[in-house]
Amino acid sequence: MTQRYLILEDGSAYPGKAFGSLATTTGELVANSTMNGYQEIISNQIYHNQIIVFTQSSIGNTGLDQNAYESILPSAKGVIVREYENLATDHFKRISLDRYLKQHKIPGIYDVDTRELRHRLQKYGNMKASIVDVADDHAFDQLHATVLTNQQVAQVATPKPYPNPDEGDNVVVVDFGLKSGILRELSRRNCNVTVVPWNASSEMILDLDPDGIVLSTGPGAPSNLPQSVLKMIEEVQSQAPLFAIGLGHELFALANDASVYQLRVEHHGANHPIREIITNEIFYSGQEQGYAVDPKSIDHAKLFITHIDLVNGTVQGLRHRDFPAFSVQFSPDGAPGPKDSVGLFDDFTEIMERRRVDNGNSF
Amino acid sequence: MAIVFNKVLLLGGGPTSIGHENELDAAAFERLIALRKTGAQIIYVDDNPFSVTSEEIQPANVYVQQVNFKNVVNIIEKEQPDAIMATTGGLNAMQIAWQLSESGVLSANNVTLLGIKPADLRKVIDNQKLRDLLTEISEKVIASKIVADDSEAMDFVREVGFPVIVKPISASHDTSRFICNNTDELEDALDVSFKRTYIKRCSIEQSIVGYKEIEMVGVRDTNGNKMLITGLEDMDPIGIHSGDSIIFAPTQTLINEEYQALRTATFRIMDALNVTGTCHVQFAQSRTDSNYFVTKVSPFFTRNTLLAAKATGYPLTYVSSFLELGYTFTEIKLPTKYSKYLPFMEPTMDHVLVRIPLWPFRDINDVDQHLNTLMKSVGSTIGVGRTVEEAIIKSMHSSQFSPRDILPSVSKVDDDDVINQLIHPLASRILILMEALRRGFSIDELSELTRIDRFYFYKLNQLLRAQDYVINNPMSPHSVQVGHKYGFGDGMLAELWNVNISEITRMNRNTKQPVTYKEIEPSAGEFIEATNIFYSSYELENESQPFSGKTALVIGRGGNQLGPNSAADYYTTQILISLKKAGYKTIIMNTNPNAVSLTPQLSDKQYIEPIQLGNILNIINVDQPDVVFLPGNRHYLSKQLKQFTGLNMVVLPPDQKVAIYKEQEATAAVDLFIQDDEIIPVTTLSFFNHNNRMDLHHINDYQEPMSHWETDEQSLIKQAISSVDPTEWQGLVQVLFDQSGSEYTCTGIRPVRITETAFLTKTTGVNWINVLVRKYLGLLDMASLREQLRPAEHKRYSIMTAKFPFKELQSNRQEGTTKQEVGASLSFKNFE
Amino acid sequence: MGKIILDKMAMQRALTRITYEIVEKNKGVEDLVLIGIKTRGIFLANRIADRLQQLENVTIPVGELDITNYRDDIEHDSMSIDVKMSNNKIDFSIEGKRVILVDDVLYTGRTVRAALSAVMDLGRPKSINLAVLVDRGHRELPIRADFVGKNIPSSQKEQIKVYVSEIDDKDAVELIK
Repeated sequence: MTQRYLILEDGSAYPGKAFGSLATTTGELVANSTMNGYQEIISNQIYHNQIIVFTQSSIGNTGLDQNAYESILPSAKGVIVREYENLATDHFKRISLDRYLKQHKIPGIYDVDTRELRHRLQKYGNMKASIVDVADDHAFDQLHATVLTNQQVAQVATPKPYPNPDEGDNVVVVDFGLKSGILRELSRRNCNVTVVPWNASSEMILDLDPDGIVLSTGPGAPSNLPQSVLKMIEEVQSQAPLFAIGLGHELFALANDASVYQLRVEHHGANHPIREIITNEIFYSGQEQGYAVDPKSIDHAKLFITHIDLVNGTVQGLRHRDFPAFSVQFSPDGAPGPKDSVGLFDDFTEIMERRRVDNGNSF
Repeated sequence: MAIVFNKVLLLGGGPTSIGHENELDAAAFERLIALRKTGAQIIYVDDNPFSVTSEEIQPANVYVQQVNFKNVVNIIEKEQPDAIMATTGGLNAMQIAWQLSESGVLSANNVTLLGIKPADLRKVIDNQKLRDLLTEISEKVIASKIVADDSEAMDFVREVGFPVIVKPISASHDTSRFICNNTDELEDALDVSFKRTYIKRCSIEQSIVGYKEIEMVGVRDTNGNKMLITGLEDMDPIGIHSGDSIIFAPTQTLINEEYQALRTATFRIMDALNVTGTCHVQFAQSRTDSNYFVTKVSPFFTRNTLLAAKATGYPLTYVSSFLELGYTFTEIKLPTKYSKYLPFMEPTMDHVLVRIPLWPFRDINDVDQHLNTLMKSVGSTIGVGRTVEEAIIKSMHSSQFSPRDILPSVSKVDDDDVINQLIHPLASRILILMEALRRGFSIDELSELTRIDRFYFYKLNQLLRAQDYVINNPMSPHSVQVGHKYGFGDGMLAELWNVNISEITRMNRNTKQPVTYKEIEPSAGEFIEATNIFYSSYELENESQPFSGKTALVIGRGGNQLGPNSAADYYTTQILISLKKAGYKTIIMNTNPNAVSLTPQLSDKQYIEPIQLGNILNIINVDQPDVVFLPGNRHYLSKQLKQFTGLNMVVLPPDQKVAIYKEQEATAAVDLFIQDDEIIPVTTLSFFNHNNRMDLHHINDYQEPMSHWETDEQSLIKQAISSVDPTEWQGLVQVLFDQSGSEYTCTGIRPVRITETAFLTKTTGVNWINVLVRKYLGLLDMASLREQLRPAEHKRYSIMTAKFPFKELQSNRQEGTTKQEVGASLSFKNFE
Repeated sequence: MGKIILDKMAMQRALTRITYEIVEKNKGVEDLVLIGIKTRGIFLANRIADRLQQLENVTIPVGELDITNYRDDIEHDSMSIDVKMSNNKIDFSIEGKRVILVDDVLYTGRTVRAALSAVMDLGRPKSINLAVLVDRGHRELPIRADFVGKNIPSSQKEQIKVYVSEIDDKDAVELIK
């Protein structure tokens, strides 16, 4: 068992045992407290440039299965856990966690006191970290010197449009680092999907004659993206029903003059109660966020706040007052996490359906 | 917003039995604390003499009566409560609630049933209605049909497919079930079954034997907000009762999609039943696809509801009490040690909990000992760790009880027997699984034979490898590290290497591998939640800090077994309460998930750790207690601990081995309390003997005071006092007598037994455990005790009747020994 | 036995969506009044009003309309029944208001037509829109809903039953064959 280290920006070093790839990597350290779905988490593109600490003490129990990837080429920078199990046995076609991480050049370290690490992150806030062979001064110098890219979306999103045909509503998905859960839910509702690159123009999108538009999840800060993206959103939101998720939600907010701030501690988990304001009901969902929409910045003549996180008070959902355009910060696709709010996809398809009926009936 | 209820009738769980231990009392106790915050007056009914709850309520509001329909009706009519809470009284109380509503008693007396509306309760109690409801909300239930001939049976099987289970209805023999995998087997089964049924009807149902058993515990408020406490996974497949299964929290072998489907189903069911409070739903999950069936819905507190709470550290009973009263999640205020978000933060775990059942076959061996659909276990132990192996080994260590710090093994069983026991498991289930691995059975083969997921065999195999490594590399720091990671305590390592534990402790110091304690709290480290519930692991950060001021460590009794154990838990609880009153910070160490003594409000700190030498020494090292309370049945442990000078140890409950018998027989007894050289009579007792068996092992039932007390008591007390020597006997002492004619002969002297101490506390008006604790702390106020105690002023007979689990175990026995008691009931009789 | 087409959750979402669409279409909630058609339409109207309260912190008046006397397919001695004599509870003026009529199921359109007559008898609103939880088709009159929870194509032999927890102990829409 090779000993390797997780070193942190604050100077601390955690020895542990290596699994997965033996690559040396640097990324933002984030703790995820979701109890199920390590496969979905690791393969989610939002973890581009990030090293994931699993607070759940043991992962890998069920291997990885072909039906549950959130992307084809995961881009996480590392996996830290107390214990991992290298199993590839179950009723589905599965490979083991170790093999998967090796395939995708993602290093892992186990035998780390992840609970202590979680406490540290909570106390000191977001931190850069590296996974290295030796925790010497050189490694720390490298860590401090590394500037993480702000071109994350361009690195993970599709460069070219591609279709995912079906016979239902025409949906254009703008890919900012799309997770497959979104496609899966659209596909369950028979949507005829075209995925377009993050920098697609409004003309290109509208030329596809969409019944609806989805702005996908993705990694990094929304401010890293050019103004042209916001302009695109502004132009399409009045033309077809729009559903924005995660990074898409943050961009939707920016396009409607709200502002976004970085959280002191990124929140990745499925334990915070989310309140839907209109019904006053509470539900739970996978949340993976480093940024949040500032509630004070919202122009209430333009947007409703539809959902808030009851623990940290962050805006979790918005809706345009004038158009059927809405957004959520969390992941209603439940990959991973509760499916409590998966009905938002039904809302989206029902809005599309209503529009078609209305347009057909209009006289 | 909640309606205010001024008077609430709380139904108790009754005497402990197979199926429920003290967990219902623990839940009722927490509930009591919650209800008090609302200012409600609480009326409690329970005849369990070992109930802690009934002691915490004003005697005038406690009805020591059997929890049955008739008694509850009388109480309702007399007390006129506004509401009734049945959810902590088990299925019995829920059935009474249903009867109360069906018979119109609730509406006639204007009583609100809390937790579930009567109309919805009916859907749970009536199996067919539940099936209809589940079908209506598109949740799958096992298909079943009553058939009158072969062709109807064939039609059914064509629809649902094999395997199926055939059972004769109103059978001449005891009901046997036939599992049929093909047409031939089905024909044979129908043939036999139709011959056995009196009414020419057989039931046939889809068989799900071998499916995974998954349990979900959810909570819901009056606004329809829902939260999942956690999922539990039974290691053993369907076919072995969940109560007899080894259980893991969180679930280990479900993928996200499967887990979320069961979560959603649980919520849908809670919505359909309008549950306000907790709901426990059991599922059978296919191993080959994502199919599942709902097998059981319990919108009330069950053993595993409370296990889910223990596993997560979520104050479930407390929160649920408010939910039942109509509060919403956001309206509930928790004690300040928790973060304010806690009531509505969905619990997330960063540890693993394993529960292993304990069976009574050592004490009752003439029954079918196979584990099947009939629950047979009487208790369980839990182990908590950061790794799955650590949790398994800790819980095994506590369940496979050995006085010494070792894991027992079944290496003497021959190969045929191993295979036989793999297919037809016995109480030694987990040891057999390990033994089979040790003998080279392949994991695939084992999984096929047992229908246990491969994952668990990988883990057990890992444990074996770790054990081998540790044994083969004695006294190496790396060996210690490996041992620690997989849950081998220092005491165990010492036994494996045959060295004194202090050598291991020294090694740990030198290699800087000290024990660390992690908190069990529901936010996985996101918030500071001072639950003060800890388990050990060997990592970086230690979260358990010693208290300032006087501290007492109380060692619990561990998993429940037959004999006086539920009384022992009551005893432990009273020790904690007494210590707290005496100004001590209290620390409890226990492994029984159903123990009242682990109720969060009863101590300042709780350790879920094996009750073994190494683990105890580690805790002593961290907490530096001023006094340690150790139960008297742990002779080896007590001997070991006594080696450590400077340890102020009190043995309570007392060690029964010090008893002196002239004859193992008695018909009456005098209980005395001895402080220094002062002897105070407490009361007299008559023992009931059955079939003229007067030997002590068969004396389970007794009354206080003795029969003919008016004439015989005074002289007997004198005789008793003259029989004991205060230099030999201290504390609560029982002098035994045998009567022939009007002559009483002293037959022995012993410490008052645990069950009787509980009995005396309930009947004499003096909390004897408190008295004993104060005695050993040197705080006893004799003057007030003398004042309090009026031994001759009897008002009525108090009667203790033992309960035996013979019926549940399908044993033909009628009478049992003291070692076979599972619980007891208390009743009163007026003098004639 | 009935088959559940919309469960509690789906029903909640449909009402939520209708609420947003009402605000969207009316560019706000100014002059908005809700009138529920008895029996279940009233509960649905109240739920929409609750949502608007949550969302915009405004109290939208909710009226109750009993149109039994207005149905042209039910025989009456006279069509000119005094509106005030009926079981309506509309204690606000609808003059110049944007009225949203709320009903559970839109079927032949006769109920709505009757409701329109009844509303017109009460005054002259600025506009009248129709919100229904379920549109099951088979219109006999040229009436369409502006806000629809769910289109449920159904045969005339089938029944659509809406349950609301206020009076039915559950929230659901069932198709009964």
